[in-house]
Amino acid sequence: MAVRDRNESAWLLPNDGTRTNHRLRDGMRRFGDSDEVDLVVVGCGAGGTTLLQRLARRGWRVVGLDAGPFWDPDADWVSDEAGSHHLYWTEPRVIGGSDPVPLGSNNSGRGVGGSMVHYAGYTPRFHPSDFRTLTEDGVGADWPISYQDLQPYYADIEGELPVAGEDWPWGDPHSYPQRPHPVGGNGDIFLRGAYAAGITAKVGPVAISNGRFGNRPHCIYRGFCLQGCKVNAKASPLITHIPDALAHGAEIRADSMVTGIEVDERTGRAAGVHYVRAGVPRFQRAAAVAVAGYSIETPRLLLNSASRRFPDGLCNDFDQVGRYLMVQGAPQTAGRFDAEIRMYKSPPPEVSSEQFYETAPGKPYKRGFSIQTVSPLPITWAEHVAAQGHWGARLREYMSDYVHWSCLGALCEFLAQPGNRVTLAAEKDRHGLPVAHFDYSQCDNDRQLVKAAQGVMEDILHAAGADEVITIQRFAHLVGGARMAASEQHGVVDASCRTFAVPNLYITDGSVLPTQGSANPALTIMAVAARAAGHLAAAAHGGS
Amino acid sequence: MTGAGTPGAGGHSRFPGFEVLEQAGHWDGVTAGVVLARVGTAPDIRFLTPEQEAIATALCDRLLGQDEEPRVPVVPMVDARLAEQETDGWHYDDVPEDGQAWRDSLRYLDADCQARFSCGLALARIEDQQEVIQSVQDLGAKDWHGLNAGHVWSLWTRYACTAFYAHPSAWNEIGFPGPAYPRGYKNPGTGKREPFEVADARPSADPVRDDS
Repeated sequence: MAVRDRNESAWLLPNDGTRTNHRLRDGMRRFGDSDEVDLVVVGCGAGGTTLLQRLARRGWRVVGLDAGPFWDPDADWVSDEAGSHHLYWTEPRVIGGSDPVPLGSNNSGRGVGGSMVHYAGYTPRFHPSDFRTLTEDGVGADWPISYQDLQPYYADIEGELPVAGEDWPWGDPHSYPQRPHPVGGNGDIFLRGAYAAGITAKVGPVAISNGRFGNRPHCIYRGFCLQGCKVNAKASPLITHIPDALAHGAEIRADSMVTGIEVDERTGRAAGVHYVRAGVPRFQRAAAVAVAGYSIETPRLLLNSASRRFPDGLCNDFDQVGRYLMVQGAPQTAGRFDAEIRMYKSPPPEVSSEQFYETAPGKPYKRGFSIQTVSPLPITWAEHVAAQGHWGARLREYMSDYVHWSCLGALCEFLAQPGNRVTLAAEKDRHGLPVAHFDYSQCDNDRQLVKAAQGVMEDILHAAGADEVITIQRFAHLVGGARMAASEQHGVVDASCRTFAVPNLYITDGSVLPTQGSANPALTIMAVAARAAGHLAAAAHGGS
Repeated sequence: MTGAGTPGAGGHSRFPGFEVLEQAGHWDGVTAGVVLARVGTAPDIRFLTPEQEAIATALCDRLLGQDEEPRVPVVPMVDARLAEQETDGWHYDDVPEDGQAWRDSLRYLDADCQARFSCGLALARIEDQQEVIQSVQDLGAKDWHGLNAGHVWSLWTRYACTAFYAHPSAWNEIGFPGPAYPRGYKNPGTGKREPFEVADARPSADPVRDDS
């Protein structure tokens, strides 16, 4: 089916140079709290929005709640780093463990569109091996589904975003609906260095429209992808799935913080969600509930939804909620060139390599890493320079050298571990709810991957002619925390994203992923949610 | 400071004549509003006490090498974030939330300076201020007044650098043209420039090479 026939979002946006279809939003269907909707979705990011759009298309009465605003790129977003602070989830959270992982701007979105509003735009698929790392490599976990189960959904979503890139030789080889973008200075360095070092690198895969797509214009290569795309060129659910969902009768209720999921003690079924809007506590009735608050807020909401039946938190009979949370090790290595690279021009996501993605014979570690261009803007670049220990006049001198640097980033597949988890902190948010405490500690395999990835990035930059290189240790992305498993002893949801404990409660976000590969997770989150939508529809049809 | 010029750090300029604000007419209105507000009157101090403001000013000026006028008003920008609880969305479990962590760490820093030089940080000589600050960095992840010194260092540098490198004067110094909507770029690529970008006058002034 042609993209427009299954998702008309890009054609529902204005074509007059503005970015938001206000008439569609103003005329949106609105349900009352006492209406029992077919489905209420908590969180309007990659997973929640995809589910919402699919089910609205099937005629379901659906409402999506989001704690943050219903963004208008024209009025709300700026072409500026510090001014984009409001795009991130900055409600309080506490981090610990031997390797604490910063949240906020690094990995946590807020508002309709979720983290995809400020992700770089890379949308690689997972590899087939990612779904059976325990069997193949003796680490991580096996998914209760295979790559083949997701493959058609990957292809669908790639068409809807759409994704631009070269023919992809890694994992399950495939091509993309749009041709690769031209590259800027940073992509040029990566391609040249990789070629000289004998490493295969490819342009893409990025969910940034290369050419007009519906009423979405071509990318203007301004480099502020992480600050929200004011152009509507970079895909986020705000423009790729919300317009079509609204046109099919979905309601988006923004600025609505969900505080608890209500489960009927007698029937054992979810009855709806408690939320707060403008300070007023409310309750939305629903025949089914889907949680899509991502890997920190989804476990937190379940833990904060304890009841007599679930004293340790909803769906937590087997102490699985919040566990096996993963981040990718994301060292960034930069190289210095006498030529001007000016990496801030062109999108940060340009070129990537998955040559080191799989377990390699002869290496002391399992699994692997990918390498991508990252192109930090000045404030983020200052973090790199400060991480080298520089401050004062030395920091300023280093920073004045900005235009000469090229920067690559790795995504290292850190392994799922039970102790890397979300629990509830003593600290409370402004609604009086305990905030998330997120512990993270690396294992030996994790550390070896980071070291190996740094070595490869240094090789590429040196091969491109860099005289010096510097590296900063970072983390990227979140997945897991309410993982999919074959049985309730090992996870929170089944292969169709339905919770083991409550038959009409689903989780459709990154927290269900049992492993993460070395891929940016957005595309997989959307594919998993699109697949879950089919199962929800089938279950409802069967009267379950 | 208001507007153009390079904040004081020895007065060197690698990008002669480069002035980000000259391009403000090409920025979209919402972005221009946000950026131009930073070169207007600095916000009033609302969160820090006058004593804390004085210590924070000495700390931030040293961290950013702002030894002489004109200076980017870093502390008012840090204070505004603290007053509005505009945090990074997380804090380490061995450091209090950001506002309290700033108040506590400024007090400890001042006490260190008193103990070493019999003078509070704000009125100490620049070299003495640097020495006190350096001693915190030198602790790495070790304990400092009951806090993880590395996590305090991270807090200070994150807030200070975010404020400083949000300012057009800092962009002038590093050759970065700032906002780029709706115009975008027409000449990406190694060694290429837009008509409004200025070439680095000292392209081989590599700070890493200088270190070695």
